[in-house]
Amino acid sequence: MSEQSSRRPHRILVIGGGFSGLTTAVDAAETGAEVIVIERNPYLGGRVAQLNKYFPKLCPPLCGLELNFKRIRTNPLVTLHTMAEVETITGGPGDYTVTVKLHPRYVNDNCTACNACAEACPAERPNDFNFGMDRTKAAYLPFNQAFPQKYVIDGASCAADCGKACREACRYGAVDLEMKAETRELRVDSLVVATGWDPYDPNRLDLLGFGKVKNVITNMMMERLASPTGPTAGKILRPSDGKPVENIVFVQCAGSRDENHLPYCSSICCLASLKQVTYIREQNPGSKARIFYIDIRTPGKYEKFYGKVKEDPNVSFTKGKVARIVQAEGSDDVIVEAEDMLTGAKVKVQADMVVLATGMEPTGASRKVSGVGYNGDGFVLSVQGVSAAGCSKNPMDVARSAQDATSAVLKAIKTGQGR
Amino acid sequence: MPEQIAGQIIKPDLNFVKDIIASGGESLKKCYQCSTCTVVCDVTPGETPFPRKEMLYAQWGLKERLLNNPDVWLCHQCSDCTAHCPRGAKPGEVLGAVRKMTIREYSAPRFLAHMVADSKYLLLLMALPVLLLLGVIVGRGVTGIPDGEIVYTKIMPVPAIDVIFTAAAVFAVLSFLFGIRKYWAAMKVGTKAAPRGSLAEDVVAVITEFLTHRRFRKCSVTQERSTSHLLVFYAFAGLALTTTWAIVYLYGFHRESPYPQYDPMKLVGNVSALALLFGISLVVVNRLKNAEKAGKGSYFDWLFLSVIFIIAVTGLFSELLRLGNIAVLAYPVYFIHLVFVFFLFAYAPFSKMAHMVYRTTALVFARQTGRDR
Repeated sequence: MSEQSSRRPHRILVIGGGFSGLTTAVDAAETGAEVIVIERNPYLGGRVAQLNKYFPKLCPPLCGLELNFKRIRTNPLVTLHTMAEVETITGGPGDYTVTVKLHPRYVNDNCTACNACAEACPAERPNDFNFGMDRTKAAYLPFNQAFPQKYVIDGASCAADCGKACREACRYGAVDLEMKAETRELRVDSLVVATGWDPYDPNRLDLLGFGKVKNVITNMMMERLASPTGPTAGKILRPSDGKPVENIVFVQCAGSRDENHLPYCSSICCLASLKQVTYIREQNPGSKARIFYIDIRTPGKYEKFYGKVKEDPNVSFTKGKVARIVQAEGSDDVIVEAEDMLTGAKVKVQADMVVLATGMEPTGASRKVSGVGYNGDGFVLSVQGVSAAGCSKNPMDVARSAQDATSAVLKAIKTGQGR
Repeated sequence: MPEQIAGQIIKPDLNFVKDIIASGGESLKKCYQCSTCTVVCDVTPGETPFPRKEMLYAQWGLKERLLNNPDVWLCHQCSDCTAHCPRGAKPGEVLGAVRKMTIREYSAPRFLAHMVADSKYLLLLMALPVLLLLGVIVGRGVTGIPDGEIVYTKIMPVPAIDVIFTAAAVFAVLSFLFGIRKYWAAMKVGTKAAPRGSLAEDVVAVITEFLTHRRFRKCSVTQERSTSHLLVFYAFAGLALTTTWAIVYLYGFHRESPYPQYDPMKLVGNVSALALLFGISLVVVNRLKNAEKAGKGSYFDWLFLSVIFIIAVTGLFSELLRLGNIAVLAYPVYFIHLVFVFFLFAYAPFSKMAHMVYRTTALVFARQTGRDR
């Protein structure tokens, strides 16, 4: 094995093209390893791409992602597959055979992202990138700065009787509705699982009214509402009637630290809410925000950020978990109910909009990669040859994911050397 | 709450904490004070609501704050809190344990309270009525199953029953009165509140609430419980009526038992007995069904349920076996029935039966102090 590895570069398969996976890929490739990245979505960047701003510097996500995209584009050792999923993994450290299924994009590399296909397309689909808050055509670009900058046609939403309008509209011959799924067999020395996380399903939080009470959204939906590329072009308007949000409540630990839901702390939701408070405060000077919490957890240097937000007189904090959310009578406002533990009284607070700070559920909780080991919560258990990076292993912020990815690279290239 | 605690020196009673844990509150320490419980509770007042603060008192071993606290009886153990608790801390079970300890704290004599709460004394407690009733039978010269028509007075004459059970009832009433007085005084100290307003009015209001189970009906996770409890409640009322009626027949009209089945008193008694059996079975079924969400309950709970269940079954079978003329079973079953009825009466101030007295006291106190209007 070591003889073999001295003749050719290490080959590493990275499962997942989010922040952790991309960092793994560029770091590994820059050590001279051959890297293949497979990504389930039609675009790279994962959850970070959906954020409005991210820690630690509160830059827009494309700042950091663009840098990684550039390093990938200019590095011939990295191969990318979007809309791809692992089917099986066999073999062992130093010699894995992985079968990968590539789903059809129905758009080939000729695409110039001119939008003609979308204009011609008569069918629509809910925009999952914006958590269903708006719709796109069945032929769509996932988001403005999507990488690869190629359209995709959603086969499930594509109405077969449309007369193939998109194909006729495309001047570049990029639309290929005959495209079929294909399976590839890849041989690699090691794998890095960077499959990331899903926002915990708020429909399961029966006390918190999501889906039943108007204007109850999740923190990830808030990122999209605040984002210039989101459904409201960055104006924080509540979904039911488009009213600018003046008075907002954040509900911490919505399903986190709860044995009925996610038993652990996701460690990022407190900071996410504090960050989102600044979105609304900066956008709307008269606005008021109130955070209901069990404990505010802002580890390390993030404590400073908490201190800064706390100084704002329009932001208040109430110790006590919200355990009931109902619609205000005769309006689209929302009423949250909690105990204010510092006064020892039950309080009902009316707000324009409520944000549920839902936690991170590893994708391993709902979609496991066959051949990878998981713990009971769905987090990946690393073994020699298959290491986890980022939130597939533990909830963490972007900065830690980057560090974690680098450490996964070290493990992966060591495996390639037969140690 | 913190204002009350701030500036005070907290004296945790660690033995009290262990005691709660041993009394069915074993999940107590899992609580991390998020207050989901208090918010989902539909029976708590909005000001200084429970049970989150009680969970803190319990974790810290603040004995006085719990045992002098009428709030633990405003709780009807709906278990909405327990079902939604993110940590499995089971506040409903913990408050149940605190109620049990309240009963033990105020009921006199104390040693009996400890014996009733502890399964290892069960046989000893049973031995008292067994020996007492056997003494009557042997004293009468009965050595086997009597011949002829089944008439229970052949083994157990009415005067003996009257003496034994009146004594048990008087003992229970005295013990309760003593307990109520002590508890009332303790609540005044604990809540630093002075009762005011008409006591009679508040007693009537509380009893009216019991008659409809108005508060109990607010429970959502274990909603059927109020129905089964109501059934048992009215069954007991019916049986109390039957007993009074029988006393009137016996001493007012000098009519001896057994009475014919069409007698209205008999009818009320039979219907009540069936309601009791049905009601208590429902209670047991609901408890088992809700065990996962609401907790499995303690020895204290199950002893009480078992005693009532056995009384209902043996009572009905005493009658059926008598009518079926199966003497060899009828007399022993009747004997068991009496043993358990004695058990229920004499030990009422120490068993879960006492909940009716302490809950009434606490609810009246809560009304008198404006805690619960």
